[in-house]
Amino acid sequence: MASPAVVEISRWQFAITAVFHMSFPALTVGLSVFLAVMYTAHLKTGNPLYLQIFRFWKKIFAVGFGLGVVAGTVMTFEFGLNWGSYAHAVGPILGVTIGMEVITAFFLEAGFIGIMLYGDGRVRPRTMALACWMLVVGTLLSTTWILSANSWMQDPVGFTEVNGQFRASNWWHVLFNPAFSYRYPHILLAVLISAGWFIGGIAAWYLVKRRALPFARRTLSIALGVLAVLMPVQLYVGDATAAFMGAHQPAKLEAFEGNWKTDNNGYNLLVVPDTDKGENKVHVEIPHLGAVIGKDLSGKAEVPGLLQTPKDDRPNMWSAFYGFRAMYFTALAMFGMAFAGLVLRLRGRLYTARRFLRLMVWMAPAGVVAISGGWITAETGRQPWVVYGLIRTSEAVSHLSLGAALASLIGFVTVYALLLGLWIRSIVRTVRTGPEHLVTDADTTVHPPEVSHA
Amino acid sequence: MLEYASYGLVLLALGAYVLLDGYDLGIGILSLFDRSDQRRKEYNELIATAWDANESWIILAGVALWAGLPGVYATVLPGVYLPLVVMLLAIVLRGTAIELQSAAPDYRRGWGLVFGISSLVATVCQGLVAGGVLSGLPHRGGVFTGGTRDWLTPYSMLCALGLVAVYLLAGAAWLQDKTTGTAHDRAGRLGRPLLVAVAAAGLVLGFGLRVADPQHLRFDQPLRATLFGLAVAVAVVCASIAWYGFGRRPDWRPFVAVAGTEAAGLLAIVAATAPVVVPPGLTVHAAASPHGSQLFLLIGVGGCMPVVLTYNIYAWWVFRGKFAQPTAGTEAAVPSDSTTAAERPTAVASATEDGPWAAVVVRRVLLTLLAVAVAAVSQDIFGGVRAWIDPAGVAVFSVTALALWIRSDRRSAAAGDFNLQAAEK
Repeated sequence: MASPAVVEISRWQFAITAVFHMSFPALTVGLSVFLAVMYTAHLKTGNPLYLQIFRFWKKIFAVGFGLGVVAGTVMTFEFGLNWGSYAHAVGPILGVTIGMEVITAFFLEAGFIGIMLYGDGRVRPRTMALACWMLVVGTLLSTTWILSANSWMQDPVGFTEVNGQFRASNWWHVLFNPAFSYRYPHILLAVLISAGWFIGGIAAWYLVKRRALPFARRTLSIALGVLAVLMPVQLYVGDATAAFMGAHQPAKLEAFEGNWKTDNNGYNLLVVPDTDKGENKVHVEIPHLGAVIGKDLSGKAEVPGLLQTPKDDRPNMWSAFYGFRAMYFTALAMFGMAFAGLVLRLRGRLYTARRFLRLMVWMAPAGVVAISGGWITAETGRQPWVVYGLIRTSEAVSHLSLGAALASLIGFVTVYALLLGLWIRSIVRTVRTGPEHLVTDADTTVHPPEVSHA
Repeated sequence: MLEYASYGLVLLALGAYVLLDGYDLGIGILSLFDRSDQRRKEYNELIATAWDANESWIILAGVALWAGLPGVYATVLPGVYLPLVVMLLAIVLRGTAIELQSAAPDYRRGWGLVFGISSLVATVCQGLVAGGVLSGLPHRGGVFTGGTRDWLTPYSMLCALGLVAVYLLAGAAWLQDKTTGTAHDRAGRLGRPLLVAVAAAGLVLGFGLRVADPQHLRFDQPLRATLFGLAVAVAVVCASIAWYGFGRRPDWRPFVAVAGTEAAGLLAIVAATAPVVVPPGLTVHAAASPHGSQLFLLIGVGGCMPVVLTYNIYAWWVFRGKFAQPTAGTEAAVPSDSTTAAERPTAVASATEDGPWAAVVVRRVLLTLLAVAVAAVSQDIFGGVRAWIDPAGVAVFSVTALALWIRSDRRSAAAGDFNLQAAEK
């Protein structure tokens, strides 16, 4: 059996690479939808503004998508690199699910991304539009399969165990497991929303700087419009997801609500847990709010505490609590900003309210923060299980030496920190350069002639 | 029988990867030896449209292995841990370098260097992985049990050298097909020496396998001997065609011939070792996943494969022919920074519109309360009273937001807020 240090290092490695990878799809799924809609609008109306928007966002999308793909390539191998025993046990189920993702989604994206990025002027505008929409289908399919696989690990159903290996007894139940039906809409809304903040934040920056005004107004209006429609829905879906996971993985809910004993009807804003003693050294709460959120309007119901779970089966409260708070508080901020945007729109001041626009710029990464927080809650809250109730994380690791595991962790951290810096720098540069020059020849490129079949 | 189909799927993906990303990586390595910045940029652009699709094949190979032969996946990946991790890091850096190089308007030497070196590192590591697997990995019960450096054998190092030669050959063949001018002529001249190197590597590795592989290769079985002989013969014929084709028209011939050589080489290895996948003794049967999983995998992936191939060929068709710098002058000539600036400095709303101070405070308090109420309803707090209250509320909020959005958007459009031409004047 592997040493606890190897388990710990492997967990960090997977956590860092997974959060890093997730931050790219968090933006590119929504961006692909946005780009497809913009290109289609350009085709239908012939308005060069939409072409400007398309070309500008395509530049940011290209780099983000590329980085997402390479980081995703790493993920496919990581299941086996550090987690060989896990890979052997669940390969017959999850290997197939991920395999379906690769063949239906990865290839679709890879096949059309070249046309979308470099096809301008080489293919007919209609073909460009088709490539854009195929990319949307690809990213959405990818999200679907991945969520299906991850949800099965959260709440495994439809399987039998033979010699320590799991095999599907009912594929339908495996793929469309109950956890999936809650978590899939939640993440789908989340990726659309986080792209919305990213697009809106950058549009707001141009308005603050008074550059490219039609471009900035048009994109800000679209982004905030989508956000105002989706934010209430997301709060509702998120609440339903938390309730479902709380029912199926009680320990997770106990950990992310930050209580040890079941004697608190308040809502914890801040806790400093002492894991060994099983109590909080410090906690700040709003009384009765915990009960109200849990659908008891009288404010008396008590929120379950982590001591209800046996010590060996408890997740780490720190990561679950603060991951959840990062997601939830950011969600409230997002909700408030979307609401304020709606009020400003009603009063006809959306494009001139400078304080609001400055705040919007800061909200650009909000969606990514919330999604990262949500994943941290979901994944660390499932511990000590890697497949809930079936395989413990400590039993899942490969036969590895400490040195090899540590070396690879350092390698990944270094390279990924570098990539993150490069990605941010590339966004900043693209934004500084601006969209202004992107349609100077709108008349000649709106309908490029078909390349002759030489 | 099904497990052989799964193994075949893995091999198909692996072969496609070696063929497609092989030329990518080969061109990356070749770019290290080219002194012209313009040509290096050209090499990068040549790959930028295709590297993503090419790399997808190794991902497919990986997951098909996981789903179809989990025993192999769980043995090989930890067994060749370090070279595999380094290869993944190299692939990450390489993709980044390609995208950032492609996004930059001019040639960036740093990215060019990263692109070349990471291509070389990825190739060497893939060779080490292949050699490490062929020389055997200790395992028990479907998981790896050996040490950290089991992959490092003389044979795996020879494999690394051999793979570099193979990828360089594929890269040169692809360059002859896709480029014109100096790059084209160079590729034509490089082809034959590289072919000699590949042939030498093939001989050394082929005979070396008998020594390196811990199992006894059973060439006394007629079926195996026939298949092996056939594969080797095809490889030799294809190599001869490539020899003849380099530096001659038609330009596509060397690449097709090299592809044939690679495929035949892979088949020869499989013919020699099957049914063992990982020596010693891990066979296709022992490593296979249960029947249902394989069936699902083969129907799902096999059913999608024609579609995948169709649009991959279509994408290749779009970028067919010789590479040309994109003519769209649209995105060149970037005015370095900002200063389109200040169109309407007076547009800031004056504070007097807000009315008296007290009214502003009251309005903000009321709006805040409204926002809290909307958020509370959205979080289903009335779910305990009546289940329908909150979903109905959420629907009303969203529809209201949508209506307001559409109305105000139309007004803005009518007011010319979105008018590009007006703004330019």
